[in-house]
Amino acid sequence: MIYLDNAATTLRKPPEVGEAMHRAVTQYSSPGRGGYAAALAAGELAFRCREQACELFGVSDPARVVFTASATHGLNIAIRSLVKPGSRVVISGYEHNAVTRTLESIPGVEATVLAGALFRPEEMVSLLEQTLDSSYDAVILCYVSNVFGYILPVEAMAAVCRARGVPLIVDAAQAAGACPVALEELGAAFVAMPGHKGLYGPQGIGLLLCGEAPTVPLLTGGTGSESLLQQMPDFLPDRLEAGTHNMPGIAGLSAGLDYLRRVGIDHILWWEEQRKAQLVNGLMSIPGVTVYASETAQAGVVSFRVPGLDSEVLGNRLARRDVAVRAGLHCAPLAHETVGTLETGTVRASLSAFTTEEEIRRFLGILRTEIARPSGGKFPGAAVFS
Amino acid sequence: MIPYYYIVSRSLTYAQRTQAVLQRAGIYGTIVRSPGEISATGCSHSVRIAANRLQPALVALNRSGLSPTRIYLSREDGEFQEVSL
Repeated sequence: MIYLDNAATTLRKPPEVGEAMHRAVTQYSSPGRGGYAAALAAGELAFRCREQACELFGVSDPARVVFTASATHGLNIAIRSLVKPGSRVVISGYEHNAVTRTLESIPGVEATVLAGALFRPEEMVSLLEQTLDSSYDAVILCYVSNVFGYILPVEAMAAVCRARGVPLIVDAAQAAGACPVALEELGAAFVAMPGHKGLYGPQGIGLLLCGEAPTVPLLTGGTGSESLLQQMPDFLPDRLEAGTHNMPGIAGLSAGLDYLRRVGIDHILWWEEQRKAQLVNGLMSIPGVTVYASETAQAGVVSFRVPGLDSEVLGNRLARRDVAVRAGLHCAPLAHETVGTLETGTVRASLSAFTTEEEIRRFLGILRTEIARPSGGKFPGAAVFS
Repeated sequence: MIPYYYIVSRSLTYAQRTQAVLQRAGIYGTIVRSPGEISATGCSHSVRIAANRLQPALVALNRSGLSPTRIYLSREDGEFQEVSL
């Protein structure tokens, strides 16, 4: 299989991830639930994972690293902590349904969308400067678009939020492990991320990095602390971690973070940049393919489409050739609306540290064949937006 | 019964931070579930240290911005005695 759906899940993991998960299943019980060795070992592992996240994401207090089930789970906590019925928020025009559906579920929320043009980071900063004032309750930004790989200028936008005194929530689903993410440097209220993408952990585990904002638990229940009280503890991480921890997930995530530290995010970025250049150049050389690419403002997530050929049809053709890509709207209709691809969708190829030059070469060959089949392949000229 | 000091923490993570600070200061501390007698609001964790290590432990914790709220001495007769901070 040629696996190019890493923006959904990095399927290929360091082998240590699975090994750590197996150990967790067989040797660890629940952190904070007992004084015996298996519970203490689980607690030590959970704490180590929090410390690893602190080091990688610029957090000074491990208690501010909260385990979640996913980035979506973390975003729900973050948004429901800051956004109340009738709140006013600013979001980018590239947000995922994890953000937009959650906002939609809160009555009377007024969302101002910054629909800046694709790969024009300075425009996003300018739009935020023009829009934001202290009457807003939150700003919510994806760091990297899950559709186009567009790296938003989150650092500059965070500075605007700090200056205007408006809390910032960062969706780092595509950025964690692929861009430098530092909670305290950004001054963000929350940064949410999954474990199973660029951190190379398994599905079912994520992190919510918490700044100074007050928090509202999404789940209530046992925490192994202050059990006599019928309210959730008022301290992190217990306040946001009701129920038994996902120890296999935490173990796998910890192994993934070890891998990132060992290999180095800079090296992974360099590797993905090489593969992205190969991919983009190859796509642009195929007649009729529209490629959405930028040399400077794009991570290893590349969307393309073939006018006249349905994206889902092309995705299915590739799937039959054992090529894994993601086609359609990618759970982010707002991003497609912003770029003008809502009607057509796109096909997305996304990279990881395990994507090889040979895979890209073979993918491009198969793609050429598939779009040349009847009902596709009669379209002149490649286009690129940069 | 060997006397120990129990530095009570509201959460496991806080106890782990306490243990890490003490470890960096060369003080060995063990995380234990707090005995019910000293766990005012139900379940909690404590960092247990040797009786002769309290003063350097307090210095290390204060330097790190971790201020314990309750500390108990487990006496030889098995009773717990709260320490005034």
